[in-house]
Amino acid sequence: MSEPLVKLTINGKPVEAPAGINLIEAAKLIGVEIPHFCYHPELCIAGNCRMCVVEVATLRTGPTGTPVLEWNPKLTIACNTTVVEGMEVVTHSPRIIEARRGVMEFLLINHPLDCPICDQAGECRLQELALDYGRAESRFVEDKEKKPKRTPLGPKIMLDDERCILCSRCVRFMRDVAGQDCLGFTGRGSRSTLTCYPGREPSSNYDLNIVDLCPVGALTSVDFRFQQRVWFLRQTRSICPHCSQGCNMVIGSREDTVYRLTPRDNESVNRRWMCDEGRLNYRLVNDPLRLRDPLARRAGSVQTLSWAEVTGQVASRLAALRDGGGDRIAFIGSARATTEDLFLFRQLAGGLGVTLIDVVPHEGPADALLLRADRSPNTAGALMTGVAAVPPGSRLQDIALGIREGRIRALVVMGEDITAAGIGVDLLGKLELLVALDMLPNAVTESAHFVLPGASFAEKTGTFINGMGRIQRINPAVASPGNARPESRILAGLLSDLGEPVGDTVEAIYRDMAHVLAPLWGVTWEAIGSQGVQLHVD
Amino acid sequence: MALQVPIELEQRLDELIGHYPEGHRRAAVLWVLHLLQDHYGCLGHEQVEWTAAKLQLAEINVWELISFYPMFTEVPRGRFHIKVCRSVSCEQCGCGSIFQHLREVLGVEPETVTPDGLFSVSAVECLAACGSGPVMMINDELYENLVPADVDRIIAGIRATGQVEAPKLAPLPPAHPLERRILMTAMAKPGYTGSLDDYLAAGGYQSLPKAFGLKPEQTIREVAESRLRGRGGAGFPTGVKWKYVDRRSGNPVYLVCNADESEPGTFKDRQLIYRDPHLLIEGILITCYAIGARTAYIYIRGEFAAGARILARAIEEARARNLVGENILDSGFNCEIFIHRGAGAYICGEETGLIESLEGKRAYPRIKPPFPAVKGLFNCPTVVNNVETLCTVPFIIEHGCEWFRNLGVAGSFGTRIMSLSGAVKRPGCYEIEMGKVTLRQLIDDLGGGTNRGLPVKAIIPGGSSMPMLPADKLDVTLDFDAIQAAGSLAGSGGVIVLDEGDDIVGRALSVARFYAHESCGQCTPCREGTLWMEKILHRLHQGQGRPEDVDLLMDVANHIDGTTICALGEAAAWPIKAFLRHCRADFERAAAGGRT
Repeated sequence: MSEPLVKLTINGKPVEAPAGINLIEAAKLIGVEIPHFCYHPELCIAGNCRMCVVEVATLRTGPTGTPVLEWNPKLTIACNTTVVEGMEVVTHSPRIIEARRGVMEFLLINHPLDCPICDQAGECRLQELALDYGRAESRFVEDKEKKPKRTPLGPKIMLDDERCILCSRCVRFMRDVAGQDCLGFTGRGSRSTLTCYPGREPSSNYDLNIVDLCPVGALTSVDFRFQQRVWFLRQTRSICPHCSQGCNMVIGSREDTVYRLTPRDNESVNRRWMCDEGRLNYRLVNDPLRLRDPLARRAGSVQTLSWAEVTGQVASRLAALRDGGGDRIAFIGSARATTEDLFLFRQLAGGLGVTLIDVVPHEGPADALLLRADRSPNTAGALMTGVAAVPPGSRLQDIALGIREGRIRALVVMGEDITAAGIGVDLLGKLELLVALDMLPNAVTESAHFVLPGASFAEKTGTFINGMGRIQRINPAVASPGNARPESRILAGLLSDLGEPVGDTVEAIYRDMAHVLAPLWGVTWEAIGSQGVQLHVD
Repeated sequence: MALQVPIELEQRLDELIGHYPEGHRRAAVLWVLHLLQDHYGCLGHEQVEWTAAKLQLAEINVWELISFYPMFTEVPRGRFHIKVCRSVSCEQCGCGSIFQHLREVLGVEPETVTPDGLFSVSAVECLAACGSGPVMMINDELYENLVPADVDRIIAGIRATGQVEAPKLAPLPPAHPLERRILMTAMAKPGYTGSLDDYLAAGGYQSLPKAFGLKPEQTIREVAESRLRGRGGAGFPTGVKWKYVDRRSGNPVYLVCNADESEPGTFKDRQLIYRDPHLLIEGILITCYAIGARTAYIYIRGEFAAGARILARAIEEARARNLVGENILDSGFNCEIFIHRGAGAYICGEETGLIESLEGKRAYPRIKPPFPAVKGLFNCPTVVNNVETLCTVPFIIEHGCEWFRNLGVAGSFGTRIMSLSGAVKRPGCYEIEMGKVTLRQLIDDLGGGTNRGLPVKAIIPGGSSMPMLPADKLDVTLDFDAIQAAGSLAGSGGVIVLDEGDDIVGRALSVARFYAHESCGQCTPCREGTLWMEKILHRLHQGQGRPEDVDLLMDVANHIDGTTICALGEAAAWPIKAFLRHCRADFERAAAGGRT
């Protein structure tokens, strides 16, 4: 059942708006942007910046009983005005522009104009709105108010009180969303200063969202501070791989370095937030220890191979073991891989007659907001493709036993350090063939006969299916280091050498996959788009 | 280690905390901070953390109050803390010389403590004693009409005895023929102490049983038909406000008495509280009965420390005679009255700023609608009424609305206590029939004329928030409509007189400094604009003006007017705009670089 619609007029255009929304949201419906600082759709109304002023007329019953349109003598703030049937709104007029120019001037008179050294430059609402409403020359010849300029608010956030425009978004967020009422204003009037009580700095898993929320450079991320100008950052839509929530995010990168992750809107998943753990979990992409070349290890010495060489050698060794009969090969994949990676992994396993296949589950404490206990982004994909056992990880013991008893002679591991999951180096040492497909060196790659360097989430495309059954896409932002390449390409190479060629793009692989896996029937690659699609999974 | 608060102190705090409903104990925080500061001398981290734990708040919720409310301090002050008022009326009568004298006599700079720990001095904004300036407070006591010799005597007395002597209230002069005393009748009787017995002997507490004989709706109707308008500053019809109360919300209704008198030039509520507390109590009880409130809070400005004690004593007297509490006078009506002390901030006089402060937060006015009558204190329907308004109610109930409408003029019925201050011989409170006395009569006849032999230059008719009127408006009658037609507003009834010897730029600076100091800081135009206006006027006053400053000042004022969350924006902008409009030459002279 849809919401009742309210008919009103904005700038002379008729609008039908859902009942209960404010005028900023109503104007968005017809593509009109009402400028604002303190308003945020996820936070309670503060109404303090006074930038979103508009002219409003409402219908009142006139003296003869007929409705009469009455214009408010004063300008009204749009954020706190709910749509009313028959309302008329003007969002831009000389009077309104003058009022906004007044607000803009007031915001800038004590502002330190740190743009040359401020991280916010290029994504700063003050800069952007100053273009429309600011003065070319300042009329303020007095001394500006001085406030503390470099105060750490906990280890993740740096506060510059001179830049703060006291919109209170951060205060409202910490209190109402993060659930940690720790920010407030001391002083009064023009000397009001954002602060927190000493020893009670923000310490939630959501603090860095206030950096996104801050319309100016008052709150900046210590992690990103002075690292890169935002206008140099390529923005790539992706999905956070830190847990099964699948928060929608943007990778900010330049050339082949990832500089930051920031959340993007998805009403169905993370709204506008992401957790700090996920946000800061990108350094592995640029880790200098990244595996760069295919390696072969023989009698203690390590040799660099080409992709053609390593694929050929691994394929023929695996084929030989298959043809020798018996269930001698096991596969351990990762629920951090994309669904396409896992689909090919399963296909490869199937062609080799593998029955012992599973993933390594990762669990951690969930929080009240976004972070989920399942710390893999694609457990649902691992289950759907048949890589994960039911429940995930329940076959690892069998694999360990099989190796210990000598039945399993070969192990293909993708993206997991299984020595932390009950299959230690002593067991790995018993294998006659250990193939490790991974990004970073670990105990498994150090023991492997063949090392195939793979890609991080930031270097490939594919899908994750989150813990609520939503399929979402990741996209490549940077190139893989050296000769590392996406897992799907590595696996396609192996499959090809084993006589089972597959599609040569991830999109083509997805199409094949969507024919085969029932929950994906009718869900096209295009439909997944940037917001994902909710699957119906029993 | 956590603070160990003495048992008696904690018991007293627990009692006060119990004055607020379950789930809203945060409202007790100003009481806790007052009493902790009285005991420990200042509010450091220990006191903040103890308070936060006691009231189940985050430390920041407590800490952010200390620097908002000027009566609180993080660092120790002198055992005898002296506050000198610097607002426009006191400045007009020479507070500067008192301030200077104190610094010399004590050898101390403002905001520092003498080496012996005894004295500290602060300049503060309006102490609501404008008619007897210059004034100073030492701890809880107020000293008025000061000359430097008085300062010497008082300081010597403190050094000798180690005590602060409480000065006696000066008796009120007899009524002037142009006055029509009603509220001020009893308090002006020689020997009147304001005790319950005195109040009864003067005919008090007869309206209350009369109201009980009416239904609550009839009581509201009586006040509505009297056309009484609020005496705080906005002049909103009282009966209409009472009718707006949402009685179907299922939530308790509250009455809040706004005893936060802080508008420069206004000092009439002080007289009512200090001299006739039972009149206020009776007015509160009748109002509660009318609107269906069982609880009333008197939000009294923190500087009225003695007034809070006087009211508390009066409430207990009343309780002992079954006039407050359960089943008042066997009527079946229950009503509790609690005192809630503020801690110094003019914005607490704004009704929603007051409510936020009462709830235990920084006094940030709320966006309206919703109005307090629908969602006010603790989100419940609330009426906020001024002291004088409430004190008028018993007379309306006693004599009827027709009687009230025979006083004053249409649109401004009844009497009003005018506060007169500035360049006049006899500043003070004068109760007049609205519309029956002109400004000229108030100043010349009641006020004895200007006090320096100079003609009137400007009159601020309704507290410093109101635009000045030039001398050619002296024949305006003192009622809402006439003052509005003349180009200002009746406001709080605080009339400040400036004569031709007054430095208008300096007075404008004083007014601008007040609003910059008192701005809560919540919204952009007021927060930034008020301080900007102060800075421009400061430069003009110091001879560092520029020709473009006059138009700039007007433009800044125009950008504050009408754009803010609350009326402090207008209060800051209108006076400056009026000074510029009427006395432009003074400002142009200053802008040309001449010292004013």
